[in-house]
Amino acid sequence: MSDPVFVYSLSTCPWCRKAKEYFADNDVAFEAVDVDLLPDDESDRLADEAYSLSGSRAFPVVKIGGEVIVGYAPERFAVLLETQA
Amino acid sequence: MAHEARSAALREFFTPLVGALGYKFTPDTELADFLLEQEAVLEENKGAPYCPCQGRTRTREHDMTIVCPCIPYHRAHFDAMRRCWCGLFVHLDVTDPAVLPQIAASELGVEE
Repeated sequence: MSDPVFVYSLSTCPWCRKAKEYFADNDVAFEAVDVDLLPDDESDRLADEAYSLSGSRAFPVVKIGGEVIVGYAPERFAVLLETQA
Repeated sequence: MAHEARSAALREFFTPLVGALGYKFTPDTELADFLLEQEAVLEENKGAPYCPCQGRTRTREHDMTIVCPCIPYHRAHFDAMRRCWCGLFVHLDVTDPAVLPQIAASELGVEE
């Protein structure tokens, strides 16, 4: 896979936690950031980055390769991971 | 639960509001308790019980639309999913919230 999986998340969001658990449980290398726990400037920058990818302020925003999924969607994660493998 | 009293108060306050909108608390009590606690934390730290799964922008126009219960601001999207984004509320006829996935508004062809 050319790009790592990246999860934009909120520390207060249980679906963000589930998304991270999904990748951990399936031994998928991923990076994640809790946007709300960052200093304001950095938080704004990453929130805007997630918004530019997803067009939404909803979390989680999951980037798999060149694809972006908004929300916890394990079936779709699996399909994208398969196509990216 | 550190914010048990406030969570209980929010539950009592929200129940008639969301009922009038055709929604109810999710039957998943563990999820509901967790989300209500997060909202109590957000209220304490950020000034309002914002949706735990939507990002604030610190602009009043946007942030008002994610104060729980935010159903009226996202009506088409939530009605299409039969749940709100974080899953705290589901349509009145829902008995199994586990079968209701999060789907982005753009994928449903509705406004967020």
